[in-house]
Amino acid sequence: MSRRRRIRSCFTAAFRAFVRRKTAVFFTFFFPVLIILIFGALVQTQPTGGGLFAREPAYYIPGYLAVVVVFTPLSRVGSTIARHRDGNRFEKLATTPLRRWEWLLAHTLVNVAVIGLAALLLFVLVLLVTGANVVVGPGLLALAPLVVAGVALFCGLGAIIGRVADSQDGVIAASNAVAFPVWVLSETFVPPSMLPAWFRSVTALSPLTYFSRGVRAATAGGDPTGALLVLAALATGVFVAGAVAVPKTE
Amino acid sequence: MAEAEARAGALVAEDVHKRYGDTVALDGVSLSIPEGEVFGLVGPNGAGKTTLVRALTGTTRCDGVITVLGAAPGAVDAHRVGLLPQSFHPADRLTARELIAYYAGLYDEGRPVDDVLADVGLADDADTWYENLSGGQRRRACVGTALVNDPDVLFLDEPTTGIDPAGRRSLWSLVDDLAAGGTTVLLTSHSMTEVERLADRVGLLRSGSLVAVGTPDELIAEHGGDSHLLVDGAGVESDAVAAALDAEVGERDGRLVVRDVALADVGRVVADLEAAGVDFDSFTWAEPGLEDVYLRLTGEAMTDVEGRSR
Repeated sequence: MSRRRRIRSCFTAAFRAFVRRKTAVFFTFFFPVLIILIFGALVQTQPTGGGLFAREPAYYIPGYLAVVVVFTPLSRVGSTIARHRDGNRFEKLATTPLRRWEWLLAHTLVNVAVIGLAALLLFVLVLLVTGANVVVGPGLLALAPLVVAGVALFCGLGAIIGRVADSQDGVIAASNAVAFPVWVLSETFVPPSMLPAWFRSVTALSPLTYFSRGVRAATAGGDPTGALLVLAALATGVFVAGAVAVPKTE
Repeated sequence: MAEAEARAGALVAEDVHKRYGDTVALDGVSLSIPEGEVFGLVGPNGAGKTTLVRALTGTTRCDGVITVLGAAPGAVDAHRVGLLPQSFHPADRLTARELIAYYAGLYDEGRPVDDVLADVGLADDADTWYENLSGGQRRRACVGTALVNDPDVLFLDEPTTGIDPAGRRSLWSLVDDLAAGGTTVLLTSHSMTEVERLADRVGLLRSGSLVAVGTPDELIAEHGGDSHLLVDGAGVESDAVAAALDAEVGERDGRLVVRDVALADVGRVVADLEAAGVDFDSFTWAEPGLEDVYLRLTGEAMTDVEGRSR
Protein backbone atom coordinates (compact mmCIF):
# COMPACT_ATOMS: atom_id res chain seq x y z
CA MET A 1 0.00 0.00 0.00
CA SER A 2 2.69 2.48 0.97
CA ARG A 3 4.74 1.48 -2.07
CA ARG A 4 1.74 2.14 -4.30
CA ARG A 5 1.28 5.47 -2.51
CA ARG A 6 4.89 6.47 -3.19
CA ILE A 7 4.75 5.49 -6.85
CA ARG A 8 1.41 7.26 -7.31
CA SER A 9 2.75 10.40 -5.66
CA CYS A 10 5.87 10.39 -7.83
CA PHE A 11 3.82 9.63 -10.97
CA THR A 12 1.38 12.46 -10.28
CA ALA A 13 4.13 15.01 -9.74
CA ALA A 14 6.08 13.86 -12.80
CA PHE A 15 2.97 13.83 -14.99
CA ARG A 16 1.94 17.32 -13.94
CA ALA A 17 5.48 18.63 -14.38
CA PHE A 18 5.54 17.21 -17.93
CA VAL A 19 2.12 18.27 -19.20
CA ARG A 20 2.76 21.82 -18.00
CA ARG A 21 5.74 22.08 -20.31
CA LYS A 22 3.69 23.01 -23.34
CA THR A 23 6.62 23.05 -25.76
CA ALA A 24 7.74 19.58 -24.71
CA VAL A 25 4.21 18.24 -25.01
CA PHE A 26 3.71 19.86 -28.41
CA PHE A 27 6.88 18.46 -29.92
CA THR A 28 6.36 15.04 -28.35
CA PHE A 29 3.32 14.79 -30.60
CA PHE A 30 4.40 17.04 -33.45
CA PHE A 31 7.76 15.40 -34.17
CA PRO A 32 6.32 11.99 -35.11
CA VAL A 33 3.54 13.66 -37.07
CA LEU A 34 6.22 15.52 -39.00
CA ILE A 35 8.02 12.26 -39.71
CA ILE A 36 4.84 10.73 -41.10
CA LEU A 37 4.13 13.77 -43.24
CA ILE A 38 7.67 13.74 -44.65
CA PHE A 39 8.10 10.02 -45.22
CA GLY A 40 4.51 8.97 -45.66
CA ALA A 41 3.06 11.86 -47.65
CA LEU A 42 6.00 13.51 -49.41
CA VAL A 43 8.56 10.76 -50.03
CA GLN A 44 5.93 8.03 -50.13
CA THR A 45 6.28 4.35 -50.80
CA GLN A 46 6.41 3.48 -54.47
CA PRO A 47 7.35 -0.16 -54.90
CA THR A 48 7.33 0.25 -58.67
CA GLY A 49 10.54 2.20 -58.67
CA GLY A 50 10.06 5.72 -57.34
CA GLY A 51 10.25 6.97 -53.76
CA LEU A 52 12.62 6.17 -50.98
CA PHE A 53 10.94 3.03 -49.74
CA ALA A 54 10.76 -0.32 -51.43
CA ARG A 55 8.20 -2.11 -49.30
CA GLU A 56 4.45 -1.78 -48.89
CA PRO A 57 3.28 1.04 -46.57
CA ALA A 58 2.34 -1.31 -43.69
CA TYR A 59 5.96 -2.48 -43.47
CA TYR A 60 6.93 0.90 -42.06
CA ILE A 61 4.36 1.05 -39.26
CA PRO A 62 6.94 -0.16 -36.65
CA GLY A 63 9.34 2.53 -37.81
CA TYR A 64 6.78 5.28 -37.36
CA LEU A 65 5.75 3.99 -33.91
CA ALA A 66 9.39 3.65 -32.95
CA VAL A 67 9.82 7.41 -33.37
CA VAL A 68 7.99 7.91 -30.10
CA VAL A 69 8.90 4.60 -28.46
CA VAL A 70 12.64 5.24 -28.81
CA PHE A 71 13.33 8.97 -28.95
CA THR A 72 10.89 10.26 -26.35
CA PRO A 73 11.74 8.05 -23.35
CA LEU A 74 15.47 8.15 -24.03
CA SER A 75 15.68 11.92 -24.03
CA ARG A 76 12.94 12.51 -21.45
CA VAL A 77 14.20 10.15 -18.74
CA GLY A 78 17.81 11.06 -19.43
CA SER A 79 17.19 14.79 -19.17
CA THR A 80 14.92 14.32 -16.16
CA ILE A 81 17.78 12.60 -14.38
CA ALA A 82 20.15 15.41 -15.35
CA ARG A 83 17.63 17.98 -14.07
CA HIS A 84 17.14 16.06 -10.81
CA ARG A 85 20.89 15.86 -10.33
CA ASP A 86 21.41 19.57 -11.04
CA GLY A 87 18.72 20.48 -8.51
CA ASN A 88 20.01 18.10 -5.81
CA ARG A 89 16.68 16.27 -5.98
CA PHE A 90 18.24 12.83 -5.77
CA GLU A 91 20.06 13.90 -2.62
CA LYS A 92 16.67 14.75 -1.18
CA LEU A 93 14.97 11.60 -2.47
CA ALA A 94 17.76 9.40 -1.08
CA THR A 95 16.61 10.34 2.43
CA THR A 96 12.97 9.41 1.73
CA PRO A 97 11.46 5.91 1.58
CA LEU A 98 11.23 6.13 -2.23
CA ARG A 99 13.39 3.47 -3.87
CA ARG A 100 15.24 4.10 -7.10
CA TRP A 101 13.24 1.52 -9.02
CA GLU A 102 10.03 3.07 -7.75
CA TRP A 103 11.17 6.45 -9.06
CA LEU A 104 12.01 4.96 -12.45
CA LEU A 105 8.74 3.03 -12.55
CA ALA A 106 6.75 6.21 -11.85
CA HIS A 107 8.54 8.07 -14.63
CA THR A 108 8.16 5.08 -16.94
CA LEU A 109 4.42 5.09 -16.31
CA VAL A 110 4.28 8.78 -17.25
CA ASN A 111 6.07 7.92 -20.48
CA VAL A 112 3.75 4.99 -21.09
CA ALA A 113 0.74 7.32 -20.76
CA VAL A 114 2.17 10.06 -22.99
CA ILE A 115 3.75 7.77 -25.56
CA GLY A 116 0.76 5.45 -25.59
CA LEU A 117 -1.39 8.39 -26.63
CA ALA A 118 1.17 9.57 -29.18
CA ALA A 119 1.50 6.05 -30.58
CA LEU A 120 -2.27 5.79 -30.99
CA LEU A 121 -2.31 9.11 -32.84
CA LEU A 122 0.57 7.97 -35.02
CA PHE A 123 -1.04 4.64 -35.81
CA VAL A 124 -4.25 6.31 -36.98
CA LEU A 125 -2.28 8.89 -38.98
CA VAL A 126 -0.17 6.22 -40.66
CA LEU A 127 -3.30 4.41 -41.76
CA LEU A 128 -4.88 7.62 -43.06
CA VAL A 129 -1.84 9.22 -44.67
CA THR A 130 0.04 6.25 -46.11
CA GLY A 131 -2.90 3.96 -46.79
CA ALA A 132 -1.22 1.10 -44.97
CA ASN A 133 -3.31 -2.06 -44.79
CA VAL A 134 -3.70 -3.64 -41.39
CA VAL A 135 -5.29 -7.00 -40.57
CA VAL A 136 -7.88 -6.28 -37.93
CA GLY A 137 -7.96 -9.06 -35.36
CA PRO A 138 -7.07 -9.98 -31.80
CA GLY A 139 -3.40 -9.77 -32.70
CA LEU A 140 -3.73 -5.99 -32.88
CA LEU A 141 -4.23 -5.95 -29.11
CA ALA A 142 -0.58 -6.97 -28.78
CA LEU A 143 0.37 -3.47 -29.90
CA ALA A 144 -0.35 -2.19 -26.39
CA PRO A 145 2.07 -4.49 -24.51
CA LEU A 146 4.63 -4.05 -27.28
CA VAL A 147 4.54 -0.27 -26.83
CA VAL A 148 4.63 -0.60 -23.03
CA ALA A 149 7.61 -2.98 -23.13
CA GLY A 150 9.40 -0.78 -25.66
CA VAL A 151 8.84 2.34 -23.58
CA ALA A 152 10.02 0.59 -20.40
CA LEU A 153 13.13 -0.60 -22.17
CA PHE A 154 14.09 2.81 -23.49
CA CYS A 155 13.23 4.48 -20.19
CA GLY A 156 15.77 2.15 -18.58
CA LEU A 157 18.30 3.00 -21.26
CA GLY A 158 17.49 6.70 -20.79
CA ALA A 159 18.27 6.33 -17.09
CA ILE A 160 21.66 4.84 -17.92
CA ILE A 161 22.39 7.68 -20.36
CA GLY A 162 21.25 10.19 -17.74
CA ARG A 163 23.65 8.66 -15.23
CA VAL A 164 26.59 8.64 -17.62
CA ALA A 165 26.08 12.07 -19.27
CA ASP A 166 27.12 14.97 -17.10
CA SER A 167 24.59 17.55 -18.31
CA GLN A 168 21.21 17.94 -19.99
CA ASP A 169 22.94 18.91 -23.24
CA GLY A 170 25.05 15.78 -22.97
CA VAL A 171 21.95 13.66 -22.45
CA ILE A 172 20.26 15.04 -25.57
CA ALA A 173 23.37 14.51 -27.70
CA ALA A 174 23.98 11.01 -26.35
CA SER A 175 20.37 9.91 -26.64
CA ASN A 176 20.18 11.12 -30.25
CA ALA A 177 23.43 9.31 -31.05
CA VAL A 178 22.00 6.10 -29.61
CA ALA A 179 18.45 6.49 -30.86
CA PHE A 180 19.03 7.33 -34.51
CA PRO A 181 20.98 4.23 -35.61
CA VAL A 182 18.78 2.01 -33.46
CA TRP A 183 15.69 3.54 -35.02
CA VAL A 184 16.86 3.19 -38.61
CA LEU A 185 18.62 -0.16 -38.48
CA SER A 186 16.29 -2.37 -36.45
CA GLU A 187 14.17 -3.78 -39.27
CA THR A 188 12.16 -0.55 -39.25
CA PHE A 189 12.92 1.41 -42.39
CA VAL A 190 15.68 -0.65 -43.94
CA PRO A 191 14.67 -4.27 -44.72
CA PRO A 192 17.32 -6.82 -43.66
CA SER A 193 17.71 -7.91 -47.28
CA MET A 194 19.15 -4.48 -48.11
CA LEU A 195 21.85 -4.74 -45.46
CA PRO A 196 25.16 -6.63 -45.64
CA ALA A 197 24.83 -10.20 -44.40
CA TRP A 198 27.22 -9.61 -41.51
CA PHE A 199 25.12 -6.71 -40.26
CA ARG A 200 22.03 -8.87 -39.77
CA SER A 201 23.50 -10.35 -36.61
CA VAL A 202 24.03 -6.82 -35.33
CA THR A 203 20.40 -6.05 -36.08
CA ALA A 204 19.40 -9.07 -34.02
CA LEU A 205 21.13 -7.50 -31.01
CA SER A 206 18.95 -4.40 -31.15
CA PRO A 207 15.93 -4.64 -28.84
CA LEU A 208 13.98 -2.48 -31.26
CA THR A 209 14.23 -5.28 -33.82
CA TYR A 210 11.88 -7.36 -31.65
CA PHE A 211 9.55 -4.42 -31.31
CA SER A 212 9.50 -4.13 -35.12
CA ARG A 213 8.90 -7.83 -35.60
CA GLY A 214 6.17 -7.84 -32.99
CA VAL A 215 4.36 -4.81 -34.40
CA ARG A 216 4.67 -6.18 -37.94
CA ALA A 217 3.26 -9.53 -36.84
CA ALA A 218 0.45 -7.85 -34.87
CA THR A 219 -0.61 -5.66 -37.80
CA ALA A 220 -0.24 -8.34 -40.45
CA GLY A 221 -2.31 -11.00 -38.75
CA GLY A 222 0.70 -12.98 -37.54
CA ASP A 223 1.66 -14.14 -34.06
CA PRO A 224 3.61 -11.47 -32.14
CA THR A 225 4.04 -13.59 -28.98
CA GLY A 226 7.64 -14.63 -29.57
CA ALA A 227 8.84 -11.11 -30.33
CA LEU A 228 6.83 -9.74 -27.43
CA LEU A 229 8.39 -12.21 -24.98
CA VAL A 230 11.92 -11.39 -26.13
CA LEU A 231 11.17 -7.67 -25.93
CA ALA A 232 9.63 -8.05 -22.46
CA ALA A 233 12.65 -9.98 -21.20
CA LEU A 234 15.03 -7.37 -22.61
CA ALA A 235 12.87 -4.57 -21.19
CA THR A 236 13.00 -6.16 -17.74
CA GLY A 237 16.78 -6.43 -17.86
CA VAL A 238 17.35 -2.90 -19.14
CA PHE A 239 14.80 -1.47 -16.68
CA VAL A 240 16.61 -3.13 -13.76
CA ALA A 241 19.94 -1.81 -15.05
CA GLY A 242 18.36 1.62 -15.41
CA ALA A 243 17.00 1.51 -11.87
CA VAL A 244 20.46 0.70 -10.56
CA ALA A 245 21.85 3.58 -12.63
CA VAL A 246 19.45 6.14 -11.11
CA PRO A 247 21.75 8.20 -8.87
CA LYS A 248 21.50 7.66 -5.14
CA THR A 249 24.44 9.61 -3.83
CA GLU A 250 26.07 12.82 -5.00
CA MET B 1 15.37 2.18 22.24
CA ALA B 2 14.67 5.93 22.31
CA GLU B 3 16.50 6.19 25.62
CA ALA B 4 19.51 4.39 24.19
CA GLU B 5 19.46 6.68 21.17
CA ALA B 6 19.31 9.73 23.40
CA ARG B 7 22.24 8.46 25.44
CA ALA B 8 24.33 7.66 22.40
CA GLY B 9 23.37 10.82 20.56
CA ALA B 10 20.81 11.18 17.82
CA LEU B 11 23.68 12.01 15.46
CA VAL B 12 27.16 10.67 16.01
CA ALA B 13 30.21 11.06 13.79
CA GLU B 14 33.58 9.61 14.70
CA ASP B 15 36.73 10.46 12.80
CA VAL B 16 34.95 11.11 9.52
CA HIS B 17 37.15 11.68 6.49
CA LYS B 18 36.20 12.60 2.96
CA ARG B 19 38.37 13.58 0.00
CA TYR B 20 37.54 14.78 -3.50
CA GLY B 21 40.70 13.89 -5.37
CA ASP B 22 43.47 15.89 -3.71
CA THR B 23 41.02 18.11 -1.87
CA VAL B 24 40.30 17.24 1.74
CA ALA B 25 36.63 17.95 2.41
CA LEU B 26 36.40 16.41 5.90
CA ASP B 27 39.46 15.77 7.99
CA GLY B 28 38.66 13.62 11.01
CA VAL B 29 35.39 15.22 12.09
CA SER B 30 33.92 13.85 15.33
CA LEU B 31 30.78 15.12 17.00
CA SER B 32 27.81 13.88 18.95
CA ILE B 33 24.45 15.61 18.92
CA PRO B 34 21.97 14.50 21.56
CA GLU B 35 18.29 14.06 20.87
CA GLY B 36 16.33 17.30 20.82
CA GLU B 37 19.35 19.55 20.35
CA VAL B 38 19.61 22.25 17.70
CA PHE B 39 23.17 22.12 16.42
CA GLY B 40 24.44 24.95 14.25
CA LEU B 41 27.24 24.28 11.81
CA VAL B 42 29.14 27.31 10.56
CA GLY B 43 32.22 27.86 8.50
CA PRO B 44 33.47 29.58 5.37
CA ASN B 45 32.46 28.46 1.89
CA GLY B 46 34.23 25.20 1.13
CA ALA B 47 34.84 24.39 4.80
CA GLY B 48 32.95 21.09 4.47
CA LYS B 49 29.53 21.92 5.93
CA THR B 50 27.51 20.47 3.06
CA THR B 51 29.84 17.49 2.79
CA LEU B 52 29.29 16.78 6.48
CA VAL B 53 25.51 17.01 6.01
CA ARG B 54 25.81 14.62 3.08
CA ALA B 55 27.95 12.25 5.12
CA LEU B 56 25.42 12.27 7.95
CA THR B 57 22.50 11.68 5.58
CA GLY B 58 24.33 8.93 3.72
CA THR B 59 24.23 10.77 0.41
CA THR B 60 27.98 10.71 0.04
CA ARG B 61 30.46 7.97 0.85
CA CYS B 62 33.10 8.71 3.44
CA ASP B 63 35.46 7.01 5.87
CA GLY B 64 34.68 6.89 9.59
CA VAL B 65 31.76 5.88 11.74
CA ILE B 66 28.41 7.66 11.52
CA THR B 67 25.18 6.78 13.24
CA VAL B 68 21.83 8.48 12.89
CA LEU B 69 19.29 7.45 15.53
CA GLY B 70 21.53 4.51 16.34
CA ALA B 71 21.80 3.19 12.79
CA ALA B 72 24.12 3.75 9.85
CA PRO B 73 22.85 6.57 7.61
CA GLY B 74 21.87 4.15 4.85
CA ALA B 75 20.00 1.89 7.25
CA VAL B 76 18.11 4.44 9.32
CA ASP B 77 14.32 4.49 9.00
CA ALA B 78 13.77 7.15 6.33
CA HIS B 79 10.43 8.05 7.91
CA ARG B 80 12.35 9.57 10.83
CA VAL B 81 14.69 11.81 8.84
CA GLY B 82 14.06 15.08 7.00
CA LEU B 83 16.48 16.89 4.72
CA LEU B 84 16.62 20.24 3.01
CA PRO B 85 19.66 20.03 0.74
CA GLN B 86 21.67 23.08 -0.18
CA SER B 87 20.79 24.52 -3.62
CA PHE B 88 17.67 22.36 -3.79
CA HIS B 89 15.58 23.05 -6.91
CA PRO B 90 12.40 21.00 -7.14
CA ALA B 91 10.16 20.79 -10.21
CA ASP B 92 9.32 24.37 -11.09
CA ARG B 93 5.89 23.80 -12.60
CA LEU B 94 4.29 22.32 -9.54
CA THR B 95 2.40 24.54 -7.14
CA ALA B 96 3.64 24.83 -3.60
CA ARG B 97 0.72 22.64 -2.53
CA GLU B 98 1.53 19.98 -5.14
CA LEU B 99 5.18 20.04 -4.19
CA ILE B 100 4.43 19.47 -0.53
CA ALA B 101 1.85 16.80 -1.44
CA TYR B 102 4.41 15.02 -3.62
CA TYR B 103 6.95 14.69 -0.84
CA ALA B 104 4.29 13.93 1.76
CA GLY B 105 3.09 11.12 -0.50
CA LEU B 106 6.47 9.43 -0.22
CA TYR B 107 5.87 8.66 3.46
CA ASP B 108 3.43 6.25 5.05
CA GLU B 109 1.95 8.97 7.18
CA GLY B 110 2.73 12.32 5.65
CA ARG B 111 1.50 15.37 7.49
CA PRO B 112 -1.58 17.21 6.17
CA VAL B 113 -0.40 19.43 3.32
CA ASP B 114 -2.25 22.50 4.59
CA ASP B 115 -0.53 22.21 7.97
CA VAL B 116 2.89 22.17 6.36
CA LEU B 117 2.01 25.12 4.12
CA ALA B 118 0.84 27.06 7.15
CA ASP B 119 4.04 26.19 9.03
CA VAL B 120 6.21 27.68 6.30
CA GLY B 121 3.91 30.65 5.70
CA LEU B 122 2.74 29.68 2.23
CA ALA B 123 -0.95 29.13 2.88
CA ASP B 124 -1.88 32.18 0.78
CA ASP B 125 0.38 31.24 -2.13
CA ALA B 126 -0.23 27.51 -2.04
CA ASP B 127 -1.58 27.35 -5.57
CA THR B 128 1.20 29.33 -7.23
CA TRP B 129 3.68 27.45 -9.38
CA TYR B 130 7.08 27.12 -7.77
CA GLU B 131 8.70 29.06 -10.62
CA ASN B 132 6.40 32.02 -9.97
CA LEU B 133 7.13 32.20 -6.24
CA SER B 134 9.66 34.75 -4.97
CA GLY B 135 13.11 33.52 -3.96
CA GLY B 136 12.18 33.52 -0.29
CA GLN B 137 8.88 31.76 -0.91
CA ARG B 138 10.67 29.10 -2.93
CA ARG B 139 13.08 28.45 -0.10
CA ARG B 140 10.16 28.21 2.32
CA ALA B 141 8.47 25.68 0.05
CA CYS B 142 11.71 23.71 0.05
CA VAL B 143 11.85 23.84 3.84
CA GLY B 144 8.29 22.51 3.82
CA THR B 145 9.40 19.44 1.87
CA ALA B 146 11.70 18.58 4.78
CA LEU B 147 8.86 18.79 7.30
CA VAL B 148 6.27 16.61 5.59
CA ASN B 149 7.10 13.51 7.63
CA ASP B 150 7.43 15.19 11.03
CA PRO B 151 11.02 13.94 11.28
CA ASP B 152 12.89 13.06 14.46
CA VAL B 153 16.12 14.31 12.92
CA LEU B 154 16.05 17.29 10.60
CA PHE B 155 18.93 18.48 8.42
CA LEU B 156 18.60 22.04 7.15
CA ASP B 157 21.42 23.11 4.86
CA GLU B 158 21.24 26.90 4.70
CA PRO B 159 17.48 27.04 5.18
CA THR B 160 17.05 30.81 5.21
CA THR B 161 19.15 31.74 2.20
CA GLY B 162 17.18 34.33 0.23
CA ILE B 163 14.40 34.65 2.77
CA ASP B 164 13.40 38.13 3.93
CA PRO B 165 13.76 39.07 7.62
CA ALA B 166 10.10 38.43 8.46
CA GLY B 167 10.13 35.05 6.77
CA ARG B 168 13.41 34.22 8.46
CA ARG B 169 11.99 34.99 11.87
CA SER B 170 8.95 32.87 11.18
CA LEU B 171 11.21 29.96 10.21
CA TRP B 172 13.26 30.50 13.34
CA SER B 173 10.16 30.21 15.43
CA LEU B 174 9.26 27.05 13.52
CA VAL B 175 12.66 25.55 14.37
CA ASP B 176 12.10 26.57 17.99
CA ASP B 177 8.78 24.71 17.98
CA LEU B 178 10.34 21.62 16.39
CA ALA B 179 13.13 21.59 18.96
CA ALA B 180 10.62 22.04 21.76
CA GLY B 181 8.82 18.99 20.38
CA GLY B 182 12.00 16.91 20.63
CA THR B 183 13.24 17.11 17.03
CA THR B 184 17.00 17.03 16.65
CA VAL B 185 18.03 19.73 14.19
CA LEU B 186 21.33 20.17 12.42
CA LEU B 187 21.43 23.41 10.52
CA THR B 188 24.14 25.07 8.52
CA SER B 189 24.16 28.80 8.00
CA HIS B 190 26.25 31.80 7.10
CA SER B 191 24.17 33.97 9.40
CA MET B 192 25.76 34.14 12.83
CA THR B 193 22.66 35.91 14.12
CA GLU B 194 20.60 32.94 13.05
CA VAL B 195 22.90 30.38 14.59
CA GLU B 196 23.29 32.37 17.81
CA ARG B 197 19.51 32.70 17.99
CA LEU B 198 18.65 29.07 17.26
CA ALA B 199 21.47 26.73 18.18
CA ASP B 200 21.96 25.07 21.54
CA ARG B 201 25.50 24.32 20.42
CA VAL B 202 27.59 25.49 17.52
CA GLY B 203 30.33 23.73 15.61
CA LEU B 204 32.80 25.70 13.54
CA LEU B 205 34.30 23.95 10.53
CA ARG B 206 37.45 25.17 8.87
CA SER B 207 39.16 23.31 6.03
CA GLY B 208 37.26 20.13 6.88
CA SER B 209 38.11 20.19 10.58
CA LEU B 210 35.81 20.98 13.45
CA VAL B 211 37.91 23.63 15.19
CA ALA B 212 35.48 24.58 17.95
CA VAL B 213 32.27 23.19 19.45
CA GLY B 214 30.24 24.64 22.28
CA THR B 215 27.27 26.73 23.25
CA PRO B 216 27.27 30.21 21.73
CA ASP B 217 28.10 31.69 25.15
CA GLU B 218 30.99 29.29 25.67
CA LEU B 219 32.44 30.02 22.26
CA ILE B 220 32.07 33.77 22.68
CA ALA B 221 33.67 33.65 26.13
CA GLU B 222 36.54 31.55 24.87
CA HIS B 223 37.17 33.00 21.43
CA GLY B 224 35.10 36.17 21.06
CA GLY B 225 37.61 38.64 22.47
CA ASP B 226 36.70 41.85 24.23
CA SER B 227 33.98 44.40 23.78
CA HIS B 228 35.02 47.03 21.27
CA LEU B 229 34.28 50.35 19.72
CA LEU B 230 33.80 50.75 15.98
CA VAL B 231 34.75 54.22 14.72
CA ASP B 232 33.41 55.58 11.40
CA GLY B 233 34.74 58.53 9.50
CA ALA B 234 36.08 59.22 6.03
CA GLY B 235 39.27 60.86 7.16
CA VAL B 236 39.96 58.96 10.33
CA GLU B 237 43.35 57.31 10.40
CA SER B 238 44.16 54.36 12.59
CA ASP B 239 47.49 55.85 13.71
CA ALA B 240 45.78 58.98 14.99
CA VAL B 241 43.19 56.97 16.90
CA ALA B 242 45.83 54.64 18.31
CA ALA B 243 47.90 57.61 19.47
CA ALA B 244 44.89 59.40 20.98
CA LEU B 245 43.82 56.37 22.97
CA ASP B 246 47.14 54.65 23.47
CA ALA B 247 45.43 51.45 22.36
CA GLU B 248 45.61 48.80 19.69
CA VAL B 249 43.44 49.74 16.69
CA GLY B 250 42.34 47.35 13.99
CA GLU B 251 40.14 47.60 10.94
CA ARG B 252 37.01 45.76 9.85
CA ASP B 253 34.79 46.46 6.85
CA GLY B 254 36.29 49.96 6.45
CA ARG B 255 35.77 50.90 10.09
CA LEU B 256 38.36 51.23 12.81
CA VAL B 257 38.10 48.83 15.72
CA VAL B 258 39.26 49.81 19.20
CA ARG B 259 39.38 46.67 21.30
CA ASP B 260 38.73 46.13 24.97
CA VAL B 261 36.52 49.13 25.57
CA ALA B 262 34.02 48.64 28.40
CA LEU B 263 30.65 50.32 28.11
CA ALA B 264 31.50 52.56 31.09
CA ASP B 265 34.61 53.82 29.27
CA VAL B 266 32.89 54.91 26.07
CA GLY B 267 32.42 58.52 27.25
CA ARG B 268 36.08 58.85 28.15
CA VAL B 269 37.24 57.34 24.84
CA VAL B 270 35.06 59.72 22.82
CA ALA B 271 36.32 62.67 24.82
CA ASP B 272 39.92 61.59 24.19
CA LEU B 273 39.26 61.31 20.45
CA GLU B 274 37.70 64.76 20.33
CA ALA B 275 40.53 66.21 22.40
CA ALA B 276 43.05 64.75 19.95
CA GLY B 277 41.15 66.31 17.04
CA VAL B 278 40.13 63.00 15.45
CA ASP B 279 37.33 63.88 13.05
CA PHE B 280 35.03 60.86 13.28
CA ASP B 281 31.39 60.73 12.05
CA SER B 282 29.93 58.14 14.39
CA PHE B 283 30.86 55.25 16.62
CA THR B 284 29.28 51.95 17.68
CA TRP B 285 30.03 50.03 20.82
CA ALA B 286 29.63 46.27 20.56
CA GLU B 287 30.00 43.23 22.72
CA PRO B 288 31.67 40.24 21.11
CA GLY B 289 29.32 37.85 19.37
CA LEU B 290 29.47 34.66 17.44
CA GLU B 291 30.58 36.61 14.39
CA ASP B 292 33.72 37.62 16.27
CA VAL B 293 34.32 33.98 17.12
CA TYR B 294 33.82 33.05 13.50
CA LEU B 295 36.15 35.74 12.20
CA ARG B 296 38.78 34.92 14.78
CA LEU B 297 38.73 31.16 14.19
CA THR B 298 38.36 31.17 10.44
CA GLY B 299 40.83 33.97 9.85
CA GLU B 300 38.42 35.69 7.46
CA ALA B 301 37.92 39.35 6.57
CA MET B 302 39.78 41.07 9.36
CA THR B 303 43.26 42.45 9.80
CA ASP B 304 44.70 44.30 12.74
CA VAL B 305 47.15 47.19 12.72
CA GLU B 306 50.11 44.90 12.30
CA GLY B 307 48.49 43.54 9.16
CA ARG B 308 48.27 40.05 10.55
CA SER B 309 45.39 37.88 9.55
CA ARG B 310 42.97 37.44 12.39
